[in-house]
Amino acid sequence: MTTRTILRALLAAAAVALLADQAAAQTALARVRTAGQLRIGTDATYPPFASAQGGDFSGFDIDLGRAIARELGVTPVFVNASFDGIFPALQNGSFDVVLSAVTITAERRAVLLFSDPYIDAGQLLAVRKDRQDIRGPADLSGARVGVQINTTAQFDLEKRAGVAVAKYNTIDLALLDLENGRIDAVVSDAPVLRYMTTLSFKGLKTVGDQFTDEKLGIVLARDSDDLRRAVNAALWRLQDSGAYARVYRQWFGETPAATAGPAADAGGTRLFDPALVSRTWRFLVRGVWMTAVLAALGLVLGLPIGLALALARVQPSRLFSIPAGIYVEVVRGTPLLVQILFIYFVLPAFGVNLPAFTSGAIALTLNSAAYLAEIFRAGIESIETGQMEAARSLGMTYAQAMRRVILPQTFRRVLPPLTNEGIALLKDSSLVSVIGLTELARTGQELASRYAAPLTIWPVVALLYLLLTFPLTRVAQELERRWRPVARG
Amino acid sequence: MIAVTNVVKTYGSTTVLNRASFAIAEAQLTTILGPSGCGKSTMLRCLNRLERFQEGTITLAGIEVPGTAHAPLSAADERELVRQVRARVGIVFQNFNLFPHLTALGNAMEAPMTVKKMTRTKAEAIARHYLERVGLSGKEALYPAQLSGGQQQRVAIARALAMEPDVVLFDEPTSALDPKLVREVGTLLRSLDDLRKTLVVVSHDMDFARAISDQVIYFEGGRAVESGTAGEIFGNPQQPETRAFMACFQGRS
Repeated sequence: MTTRTILRALLAAAAVALLADQAAAQTALARVRTAGQLRIGTDATYPPFASAQGGDFSGFDIDLGRAIARELGVTPVFVNASFDGIFPALQNGSFDVVLSAVTITAERRAVLLFSDPYIDAGQLLAVRKDRQDIRGPADLSGARVGVQINTTAQFDLEKRAGVAVAKYNTIDLALLDLENGRIDAVVSDAPVLRYMTTLSFKGLKTVGDQFTDEKLGIVLARDSDDLRRAVNAALWRLQDSGAYARVYRQWFGETPAATAGPAADAGGTRLFDPALVSRTWRFLVRGVWMTAVLAALGLVLGLPIGLALALARVQPSRLFSIPAGIYVEVVRGTPLLVQILFIYFVLPAFGVNLPAFTSGAIALTLNSAAYLAEIFRAGIESIETGQMEAARSLGMTYAQAMRRVILPQTFRRVLPPLTNEGIALLKDSSLVSVIGLTELARTGQELASRYAAPLTIWPVVALLYLLLTFPLTRVAQELERRWRPVARG
Repeated sequence: MIAVTNVVKTYGSTTVLNRASFAIAEAQLTTILGPSGCGKSTMLRCLNRLERFQEGTITLAGIEVPGTAHAPLSAADERELVRQVRARVGIVFQNFNLFPHLTALGNAMEAPMTVKKMTRTKAEAIARHYLERVGLSGKEALYPAQLSGGQQQRVAIARALAMEPDVVLFDEPTSALDPKLVREVGTLLRSLDDLRKTLVVVSHDMDFARAISDQVIYFEGGRAVESGTAGEIFGNPQQPETRAFMACFQGRS
């Protein structure tokens, strides 16, 4: 099941509430004017349209977005979002427009608003330089072809018989796989492929001409008609003033601007490039920080909730044990990804509109609480019944016995599985990238595509995850060591 | 001190206690003796409300504990009854159930602090006193896992005594010990005479019962068959069940 399918199902459930909500809201243009800023959602893993390095965005879409905001008299604010979740995020108000090389299609038109087209971009084919038998889309029958997930390239190829479509989260991963020989071709927007094969993926070439005629548009939520008119007016003015042409030349002219300049010097994608690591170091550290904070919040807030759930499950009253049991079953029985999407995209339909960071932290907390609850419950139930009897026979109440006798022994026993859960949480936190949080994995994605250097970035990201889990393991070891005299009991 | 009248306890269709009636005198050491599965341990657990029973009555240090069939108690009343009973009755379990995360001293201090809200200083003084009484001076800082079986039992006894109950129950105190320690336990129990506690021991060990008991109750089939002084029960048993048990035992040794 793709994220898209999940989201479609979740959003269908929320659609009615959304419509009711929108009726009451301020118009989109008024909202932008009041806030004094135009929030632009973009998947910044797509040079030359958009790429990012930390909070620093660049690309054709970025420069165009800045120019439009200037025309509107407001400040542009770019929000990085995975292309996978970008439209639901637009609909729930995470940003005002999406400017992310989005092709205008009938299907998208049915649910979203588009500005006038701002650039023509057809699909183009890329293959390895040594490949001679694929010269156009007609030669793709029987071939395995890579695309970025949820793009018009995917939709086009799925209509062609005999083509096996391989979907990738970002286009650079598709190109890397092509270079590695695992797929036969990659289809994507012509400017992107030309850019990537010229500057980074030097073992690849584009073949033929663009074989579809597509127009890219700026995307708006359905209630944003007045904002759409204002954006269109801005686009016309930019065309007339020549500002548009300048931006176009900068990114698509004879000498494209080198966002990925460093990768070009690096001489291809085959080598590990220590210089690139030192150049991107501070962005990686930011990613590490985000991951560490999210995982720490999930664990620190999840522990008391998990403990409370476990206590509710083991105590005799059904009034508490049944709801706690249901909670644990539901949360453990659904994927964390769905929970993140639910909190961020569906709850706004019911009036709960949380920022991405809060949504991510809450999802991780509620998810880890369910797993921690089961760890604690198993721990409590592993304590011999004689311990509770002995404590009660001395006159302690159930609560006193739990607090003074059962739980202290439980904590010692569950330390190893708790450490496991902490490590799992650290790694699972990468899923929040779907709602646009730039944690470590997303940072890796951005840098790998911007510099077209997955072979440099991903090993470093893996190493950083390892370094993150290390302190957790050490703390657990230290606690176990300190508690050893009683572990023998 | 303790009067048990027509107590009946069943688990489903199994009757564990079948109209058990007997009396236990204050400040005496009474042994409930009987074969395995006769219900004597269940009887003991009823005495401090670790088990409930359906019919009959137990009167214990002035507290009346009714069967659940006649007078079902509200949750609050049951809690209060349990609190009262356990304030008067302590128990030393067959396998001791010491708290493994606490030292010997900690085991004996825990309940006085949490239940009686005693200060740490006062609880420690009491705990040290009783640990000394059971011969564990110098072992206060050791954890249960660092102590021998006999020493662990002594900690369990000190832990029960630290709550200063009127009655102390012992469930099969000799079964977890090797034979040479059995005599020591007997000596230890008799050394507590000056505390004037009512001690109730459940055992299937006749030698042990004969050596330590003031009073012996012979238990079989979920009821007290015969009750008397140790001399009476061992010297001149009246009931056929008691005689059969003695004969079997004598034949064995």
